[in-house]
Amino acid sequence: MTVPPNVNGWTRHLLLSLALNFANPQAIVYGYLVPVFFLVAFGSLFRADSPPLQAHMGQILTITILGGACFGLPTALVSEREQGVWQRYRLLPLPVGWLIIGTMIARLGLLTSAALMQIALARAVYGTPLPTQPAIAVPAFLFVAAAFLGLGMLIAALADTVPAVQALGQCIFLPMIIIGGVGVPLAALPNWAQHLAGFMPGRYAVEVLQPCFDGHNGLRGAGFRLAALGVIGIAAGISAIRLFRWEPGARIGRPARLWVAAALAAWILVGVVAWQTGRLKPVLPEPPAWADITEAQIAEIKFEMLPGDHDLVAPIAAPNLSPTVDPAFAAKLRAWPQGKLADSGQSIRNLVDVAAVADLCADPRESEIARLVLRQITGSFEPAVARQALAWIILSPEDGQALTKAPELGLFRHPPERLVRQRSVVYAEKYLGRMLGKLPD
Amino acid sequence: MSEGVLPTSCAVAVSVKDLWKRYGSTAAVAGATFDVPAGQIFGLLGPNGAGKTTTLECILGLRQADGGTILVNGLDIRTHAAQAKRLVGAQLQAAALQDKITPRQALDLFGSFYVESFASDVLLARFGLEAKADAPFATLSGGLRQRLFLALALVNRPALLVLDEPTSSLDPQTRRTLRSLIRDLRSDGRTVLLSTHDLQEAHDLCDQIAILDSGRIVAGGSPAELIGRSQSSSRVIVRTDPCLDLAILNALPGVASAARDGHAWTLETRAPVTVLAALVRCIDDAGARLLEVQVREPSLEDVFIELTGRPWCAEEPPGDLS
Repeated sequence: MTVPPNVNGWTRHLLLSLALNFANPQAIVYGYLVPVFFLVAFGSLFRADSPPLQAHMGQILTITILGGACFGLPTALVSEREQGVWQRYRLLPLPVGWLIIGTMIARLGLLTSAALMQIALARAVYGTPLPTQPAIAVPAFLFVAAAFLGLGMLIAALADTVPAVQALGQCIFLPMIIIGGVGVPLAALPNWAQHLAGFMPGRYAVEVLQPCFDGHNGLRGAGFRLAALGVIGIAAGISAIRLFRWEPGARIGRPARLWVAAALAAWILVGVVAWQTGRLKPVLPEPPAWADITEAQIAEIKFEMLPGDHDLVAPIAAPNLSPTVDPAFAAKLRAWPQGKLADSGQSIRNLVDVAAVADLCADPRESEIARLVLRQITGSFEPAVARQALAWIILSPEDGQALTKAPELGLFRHPPERLVRQRSVVYAEKYLGRMLGKLPD
Repeated sequence: MSEGVLPTSCAVAVSVKDLWKRYGSTAAVAGATFDVPAGQIFGLLGPNGAGKTTTLECILGLRQADGGTILVNGLDIRTHAAQAKRLVGAQLQAAALQDKITPRQALDLFGSFYVESFASDVLLARFGLEAKADAPFATLSGGLRQRLFLALALVNRPALLVLDEPTSSLDPQTRRTLRSLIRDLRSDGRTVLLSTHDLQEAHDLCDQIAILDSGRIVAGGSPAELIGRSQSSSRVIVRTDPCLDLAILNALPGVASAARDGHAWTLETRAPVTVLAALVRCIDDAGARLLEVQVREPSLEDVFIELTGRPWCAEEPPGDLS
């Protein structure tokens, strides 16, 4: 079967766009390396989550798509326009719009490859689960990509030079990363920023992509978010078509700049509708995982096979402490900031980690330190909170941050984090057992 | 539309009638009219800013004319743009390629949009690009780039090639090579429409010339015809030892005027052969020794000055619109 020449040429152009992208170091940096940098940054902050990073994959993929669409696409288009490549394409017997569509399809392929790379890397490096709902991941990804590719086209239409692409791209990228719910989680933002994020597509992109990883309801309830992305993407695309320039050095006339206002009006429209329909209610921070521990879960914990209090592993001194421990240590422990965080669960974990580190490092005061830690926990925290936190350490040993040293307390050596987490479980069981009266003190 | 119904040959390859193109209140092309005969090299000659590039871009459909008609092989480009594009190959002055694309990739890409096209290997060989066939465009020299652009213009086996300043900014050797390649295109039976601000290039390369000034065609014809129509005199420049007297030179048959320029005399004449013969006899009679003699025929520059009343200025004027 003979392929019509225009189809043949169009396909060859699409494939060449892909090949040239991979030959361009700048495209590799923005398309792949910058997103991986963000993955590593998120990984270093949230690798201890359970499951690791799962709650942030929507943000990571949004950043990946944003980088490729708002930097990669316009950089390639503006660079080719200023070189006169598009002027040359206009000599072809095919409407050049088809080649633009081909370029966008090629970019969609690149975005897809970058997103899959992020999912695979997160899985391989941090053990992040794969999407639980791959069927909705496809339409969700396409909506987000289409919205951001529209913005990328608008940037390409507006920017006179490649450096101008970087400047315009940052104007969109940075606000969304910082206060748009893309980089900093929405729940961590102040109320005013959460409201402002409702006017930006980044928030809706994250909210559409995140359920692919931890949702159970498909795209049900996501209608407004998809519509918001669609409106913003279409408005940007139409404005881009009206402002597009084929010739190198061509400038946009003043009246045409009104199309930029039209594209921005879509953002405002989306934000106002979201506000008026009550969709911009403050998002509260996720309660810490330890707070979800129930009394029923605590009751099911078995205190069996624990080492003795005078054994080598996880020793605890008798309640009437011998004077081998410097009295100053007890004072330091009481004042230790890591034991007095706003997050009570993490504070208790830090205290238990102190006992574990002292034990693992064979500190001569190990059993006395363990006893002081128990006193600190029972003396400084509500019993219910202490029970929940200790049960959390036992039931979710990989959750939360683990301290591997405490130089403020004279514990300078730092054993492997894995061992600290394991030993903390043993101490948490001994402490909880005592608090529940299931172990003798 | 099927390509089979396209006219493939026509005595006039391009016909431009009363072409107008304005930018704001300034007319870049103001009623230009000319015909490009098929199978010839036709030069649009004019200083920078004369409207050459705008005219070519209107013919190529890159700019919409404000008035007038353009026929390419008999096809009106406003109503048959796609068909006309299949008949034309073009090299644009301000169009490059992606930095990383190779000549082979570029030829394969552009050729793939046409039913009939030259294989990239054929064009690479013809334009001496085999050694750089797989080198990134950014690494090619200016001369190699221009060769590649010519090859790209030829890739769809066009009946008409439109070349905008094909040899500008090139060294003399490369310029000669490219001119030879352009002559070869004519030998293939193709029509070449090129723009140039190089008077010598227009004289040496073109079969027909249209002189464009401020958007208007001020003269047209072959270089010989244009010069033949000139009212300018030939100049005979002579240097002897000892120097001849002004009175003797003024008395020679055919000499309109004589003027001294340093140690040489410049004799204005419309009969240079007669003057030369008389001059030789005069030098013999005076017992002088002939040191140097030159005959300068009227040039296209003289033609331009006669037609416009201005000296030829190839430099870009302020507010250039071409």
